[in-house]
Formats: sequence, structure tokens, C-alpha cells
Amino acid sequence: MIEYVWLVPLLPLAASLIILFVGRESDHSPMPYVGIAAIGAGLWISLRVIFDGAVGAAVLPFEKDWSWYSFAADLGGRAFIFDMRAGVLIDGAAAVMLAVVCLVSLLVQVYSLGYMHGDTRFKRYFAYISFFTASMLGLVVSNNLIVTFACWELVGVSSYLLIGFWFEQKAPPYAGKKAFITTKLGDLGFFLALLLTFTYAGTYNIVRLKEAVAMGYLPPVVLTFIGLGLLAGAAGKSAQAPLFIWLPDAMEGPTPVSALIHAAPMVAAGLYLVARVYFIYLASPAAMEAVAWVGLATAFLAGTMALVPYDIKRVLAFSTVSQLGFMMCALGVGGYTAGLFHLTTHAFFKALLFLCAGSVIHAVHTNDMRSMGGLSKRMPVTFLTMAVGSLALAGIPPFAGFFSKDLILEKVFEHSHLMFAVLVFTACLTAFYTFRMLFLTFLGDGRDHDRVAHAEESGSVMTVPLLILAALAVVSGWLFEHGHAFASFVGNGGAAEAAAEAAGHGTQAAAGHALNPMVLAVGLTAAAVLLILLAYSLYGGPDLSRAARIKERFLPVFNVLENRWGFDAFFLFLVDASDRLAVLCRWLDTEVIDRIFVDGWGLICRVFAEISHLFDALFVDQAVDGCGYVSRDVAGRGLRSLVARGQVQEYLLYLAVGVSLFAILNK
Amino acid sequence: MIESIAFYMMAGVALGSALLVVTLRNTVHCALFLGLSLAGVAGVFGTLGADFLFASQILIYVGGIAVLMIFAVMLMGRTSDLTLRQVNQEWLAGLLVCAITAVGLWRAAKACLSATASGSPAASTRPLGRLMLGDYAVPFELISLVLTAALLGAIFFTRREAGGRK
Amino acid sequence: MTLTLGHYLFLGSGLFIIGIFGALTRRSVIGILMSIELIFNAANVNLAAFNRFLHPDGVTGQAFALFIMTVAAAEVVVGLALVLAIYRSRDKIYMEDINIMRG
Repeated sequence: MIEYVWLVPLLPLAASLIILFVGRESDHSPMPYVGIAAIGAGLWISLRVIFDGAVGAAVLPFEKDWSWYSFAADLGGRAFIFDMRAGVLIDGAAAVMLAVVCLVSLLVQVYSLGYMHGDTRFKRYFAYISFFTASMLGLVVSNNLIVTFACWELVGVSSYLLIGFWFEQKAPPYAGKKAFITTKLGDLGFFLALLLTFTYAGTYNIVRLKEAVAMGYLPPVVLTFIGLGLLAGAAGKSAQAPLFIWLPDAMEGPTPVSALIHAAPMVAAGLYLVARVYFIYLASPAAMEAVAWVGLATAFLAGTMALVPYDIKRVLAFSTVSQLGFMMCALGVGGYTAGLFHLTTHAFFKALLFLCAGSVIHAVHTNDMRSMGGLSKRMPVTFLTMAVGSLALAGIPPFAGFFSKDLILEKVFEHSHLMFAVLVFTACLTAFYTFRMLFLTFLGDGRDHDRVAHAEESGSVMTVPLLILAALAVVSGWLFEHGHAFASFVGNGGAAEAAAEAAGHGTQAAAGHALNPMVLAVGLTAAAVLLILLAYSLYGGPDLSRAARIKERFLPVFNVLENRWGFDAFFLFLVDASDRLAVLCRWLDTEVIDRIFVDGWGLICRVFAEISHLFDALFVDQAVDGCGYVSRDVAGRGLRSLVARGQVQEYLLYLAVGVSLFAILNK
Repeated sequence: MIESIAFYMMAGVALGSALLVVTLRNTVHCALFLGLSLAGVAGVFGTLGADFLFASQILIYVGGIAVLMIFAVMLMGRTSDLTLRQVNQEWLAGLLVCAITAVGLWRAAKACLSATASGSPAASTRPLGRLMLGDYAVPFELISLVLTAALLGAIFFTRREAGGRK
Repeated sequence: MTLTLGHYLFLGSGLFIIGIFGALTRRSVIGILMSIELIFNAANVNLAAFNRFLHPDGVTGQAFALFIMTVAAAEVVVGLALVLAIYRSRDKIYMEDINIMRG
């Protein structure tokens, strides 16, 4: 089955084209089932790949490639045929990612059947979703960084299309542009890293690049720059500090799209990229450290920002950013397995949370939590599944988030106590804001009676995906942690990473710094439970006045957080500044450069042209006329009358002179 | 020996008459000496053993062309011509050019003074006939075409004037 | 004193030079035509001599001489016809009077 893995991205691509071009736009268009079938087939293939890999029927990493294009090249006198190959590279991480992306995408598409029902562009929505999934899957399987980059950009394009899907409104197109441009800022780093890579390694193939790094062909400073460039790309796509500003705005898209973008596919792309080229970071400690600090900053900043908003999707968005920061930080401190593990579990429960939020929004037609409350009786399935998701996110055992977050914190503790402290704090914040959201939405009284009274449980097409995801959120952490199954499977494709991890573990353990996992687990759970209780006391009851009082007392802090630590203002200031700079440049251009240099130069040229014209008319033209006069009237007439007299014998004489010269000069 | 005597005699006749052809004032005399010079050349052909050439030289040149010249001179002859100078103003320049050319040709011919003939010349009429109707058949036919064209041209040039006179 | 190729070439050169001289200096058109006949004959003498001394086995040189004779005959016929035509229309037979090629 693994040799057909290249079909996984191509099937949704074909499906998206079919959906886009076949059939008419209609509420009851059967075309979405094409996309669901394609992604279902992809999920089946990727599950088979994981199964084969786990039981040893298939050898991981699996690589297969085809010649893309080739040309004759001449480099420093060495002629050779450069052959660009593109294909698939499946290691453990890629296999897991494939399955996660396929699964989430499948569930989101099924869910969307209900959620998007009645939308004017029902068919096109599914074409976009399929296209998005195809690009993401292409990014996952590609063994060629150029193809990865292309898919990376396609992910960006399709996310732009999806976020701005409701383009009739004002905010979605703006959010789409913001997402596109902000991620593009990071892609610049990615692109520069690609250029550097090819300059020094001469290949884009990941396996060969890894060999080149292992052989030490790339100087350490270059590796650091490549690592930082890729980190910039990853920061843009995975919404890391300071490029996370697009993600909260991306909530303007349809909620299933938010689930798709946030849970696994899109935001995971950056992390996946870092994991994919992890050998570069292993070879460059500076870049590795940068990854860790970026992740840490993101986790902390986003975690604090999630405390204050009243838009249910924004809370989830900030929480996503924060969790991505956790993963990034894990990768940065050498926790390859921990990062990917959290990525996987997070994909499940964050998709679950988003789809639940979508279900709620579908029922009450608003995003504002202040208009909700008391929905638990009206939407029991949604409430239960969302509670499961929240518990998983908060890291309460035995839900998935507990295992993965635990693993990350262990890793971070080995690396740096400061980071550990910040992350533990952030983890506690996570528990608080998650349950603030849950309580505000489902408990207490219905604050907006019109909306809440008419809220109904969503149809089975929406709740079944929720239940499946909830089940996964419950069991996936335990299942993967059990017997270190996930670690051994993912480590399959990255023996070097595993070895590095083991070595790091060994030294730290020997130094006596290792944390007792039991202490951590118990302490963290206790803290989380405490904060959940605090959240309940503040937001769980019908009376929110205590929360309002706290808000009044710490108003400046709230303001800072609501302004997202000024990042948006900062970027807007940057945009504004560049705008002003452009105006200034234009003024400089038109008023100074045009006036003085261009016009002045023109004037000088004109003066010179006049002088030159005078000279021309006085001397050159006269000389030319003189030549003509001499040749026509003086020399011409005289010469003609001398030579061409019409005397044939004279002509013959000239001929004879020539002949005589030949005769006499002949040796 | 007899060959040499014949050659020198014939060469002398040819060269001497040729000199007279280009120097005499009376054009009729010139034409007559042209015939004599051509006959001398025919004699030279004889000393070379080219019997067919000898015969055709007599037939075509002496019997045809020279007579044609005399006809033309008679047709266009004017009594005043006999006293007029028959050499133009550039004769000195012509003489100089000819002298220079002569020096060059002399140098070229001198190099061949060592080449002697081997054996006695064979009769050439039969091989010439075979050649003309064999390998050179196409040029032979072509030259007959040229002759016909010349004939027609000559008639054409003179006929219009004859018509105009009527 | 035996005859050599050189002797015949001297004769040919002499006839050629005389012919050239005549063609350059004669005033009457008929005189020029006669001089040209002399030049043709000089060439014929050379051809026959080369045939005799350099290729005694063949007759190619003589064949060429024959061709030249024929061409010369044609030339004389056409030339005399032209001269006659000019004489009849313009009443001129001296070269310096015929200057229609004057530039």
C-alpha cells in the first residue's frame, strides 16, 4: 500500500478540480461527496501506511521519486546533467501527519455538509476545502523542498480563499488578505533559506540534504541562517510570535474552515516543516535555541491574550496559537517526539473544540459568548463533547492533552528552568481560559433569551464527527503514550533525532536534573483543577458581577491583553509608516528628483543640443556640401572629360596597360 | 634543317606582313598584307605538322576573311583615305604598352626554349575528325549554331539599311 | 639548330603584340578588325605549338584552334556587318568620330 502513497495528495486535488468544473451550483449538489470519497480513500491509504509501518510490513522511511526536469549544466568547468527529482518521502512523522490531516479533513467535510447547507456557494466551498487538503497533503509527503514550498504557498492561497469565503461582508476579505500577507512575510525567510540551501548543498532532496549536513558540507553559520529562515516561514504559517496576528482574524471564515486551518492542516505546516528538516536544527544549536524561544514567547503571549475576548472563536484561536507555541518550544529544546505528539493530540481536540463552537454558533447565530449561556440543556451532545475537548486542552488526565503536554514540560525542564516556569504558568492559564469559555457558553442563565431559547441541537451529520473526535480526544493520548508506541513509530524516520534525544536525556538524568514525572503530573493536574474551579466561581454562575469587578480593578491589564499586547497596533504602525514613507518618497521623486535631476538634465541636454546644432549647421553641413560640390563640379566634370570620352580605343588602352602590368610583374 | 628554314621563312613573312598591316596608310594594301600574313601563319601550321589546320587556315582566313575585308574596304573606301594618317594620337602610349607587354611575353617564352619536339608529326585530320564527332560533338554543334546566329545577325544588321534605302 | 617551343611562342608573342598595337592605334574600324584577326592567329599558333610540343599524341590543341577560327569568322562577319551599318547610317569609319559611349 505504501507505494501508492503519492495518490493521497492527488486524489483530493482531482476531486477539487472535478467539484469546481463539473455540475451546477446548488444546495443539493452531490459534488461534495466526491471530495469526501477522495479524502476517505486518502485516509484509508494513510491508515494502511501507518499500520504497515507499525507491524513492519513496510519499511520506513519510504522514498520514491520521479524525474521532474533535467538540464545540462556547467559549473566551474565541470559539466554534468542536473536532474531535479520530485517524489514522496514517508517517515513516521509524515505518516502520522497524513493520517491526522486526512482524518480531520474528512470529519470537517462531513460536518460542513450540515454547517454550510444553504450557502450560495455550497459547491465551491467543497472545491476549496479539497484543494486546501490536497496542498497540505502534498506538503506532507514531498521529499523535495521546492515542491514543499510550492504546496506551502498553495496552502496559503487556499487558506486565503477559505478565510475570505464570505467575501460579500467587509471583514472576511480583509482577514484573508491579512493572513496571506502576514504569512508571506514569513515565507520570505523560507525562500531565502531555500536559496541558501541550494547554494551550499546543491540539492533540495531532504534525504540528500540530510546526508550533506551529516557530512559537514554546510558551514555552521549557513546552517544557522537556513534554520532561522525556515523558522521565519514556520512562524508565519504556524502563527508564532510575532507573526500570529493573522490567526485571530482568520476566524472570519466559516467555522469548519477555522477548525481545518487551526486544528491540524495549516498551522501544523510550520511545525511539520521544522520537524521535517530537524537535522538542520540539530546541527545548529543557535537556530534550535531560537525555535525554543519563539515558541515560548508565542505560548505565553497567546495564552494571556486568550483570557479576555468574548468571541468564542477568538478564544480558541489564541489557544491554538498558544498550543503551537508549546509544540514549537518542544521542538526547540530537542523534544522531537513530544512536539509531534502534542501536534497530533492537539489536532484532535482542537478540531473538536472548533467544530463544537461551530455547532454552537450554528445554533445561536452569534460568536459573542455574552449572548450565550445556559446552552448545556439545549445542546447536550455539543456540551459533552466540548467539555471533553476542554478537559483535553486543559491537560486533565486521562485526556489526550495531559500526556502530550506532560511530555513537553519534561523536555523543557531538562533544558531550562526559566522556560519550564513560563510554560507551567501558561499551561495553568490554558486551563483557566478554556473553562472560562466553556462556562460562559453553556452554564449559567441564557443571557440572550431570544437566541438561547431558539437554540437547538445540531443534526447528526454535525454531531457524529464531534463524537468521533471526542472519542479520539479521550483515548489518543493514552493510546499513543502506551508503551511509547508513538515515540518508537515517529523515531523510525529520525534515528538521529531519537539518538540525540536519548543522549540529551542521559546527560541530564546523570546530572540529577530530571524531573520526577509523577510530581509534575500530579502538581499540574492539581493546579489545573484549581484554576478550573476559579473559572467556575467567576463565570460558572448566573452572576458575572465578580468577574466584572476584577476586570475593573485590573482594567489596564485587560486593555493591554485586549489590544493583543499591541502587536496589531505595532504592525499597523509598520504599515502606516511604510505608507508615509512611500508618500515621502513620492514627494522626493516628483518634487526633488524630477525637478532637479531629470528636468535639469533635460535642460542641459537641450542647451548642448542647440550648440551642437549650430556647430552642425555651420561646419559639418558646409563640409558635406563642400565635398559634394568638389566631387560633382570640380573633380567630377574634369575627371569625366578626361577619362570617359567615348573613345573605345582609349578604353582598350587602359585594358592593355593592365595586361602589360600583369605580364611584366609576373615572376 | 629544312623545317627550321621553312619556319623562319614563314615566320618572317607572317611578322613582316603583320607589321605592314598595322602601319600602312592604304587600307586596301593593309587588307592584302593581312592575307599574306595569314598565309604565313598557315605555313607555320604546316611546319608544325598540323595539316588540317593549314588547310582550313587557307580556306577560312586567306580565302574567306581576308577577301571579306577587301570587300568591306572597297564598300567603304573613300579617295581621301589614301592620304590620311591611319594612326591615331595615342600611338606613342600604345607603343609603350606594347613594349612592356613584349618584355613580359619574351621572358615567358624564353623559358620554353629548351622544349623540343619528339618524333615526327603524325597526320592529324583523321583524329581531328574523330574528336569533333566524338568527344567534342556538343561544342561542335554549338559552334555551328554560333555561326548560323552570326550569319543571321549579319543579314539582320544590313537588311534594315537596305530596306531603308528602298 | 632545332626548333623549340620557344620559337613558336616568340612568333605568337610577336603577332599578338603587333595585333595589340594595331588595335590600339589604327584609326579606321576595319584596321582594328584586321588587328584583332592577327591576335586570333597568335593564339592559334600558340595552341598548335603546345599541341605539337607538349602533347604530340593528341589533337586537342588543334581542335581548339579550329573552334577559334570558327568564332573568328563569326566575329568578322558580325563586326563587318556592324561597321557597314554604322557607315551607312552615319557615314563614319574612324574611331575618334564614333563616340556614342561618351560619358
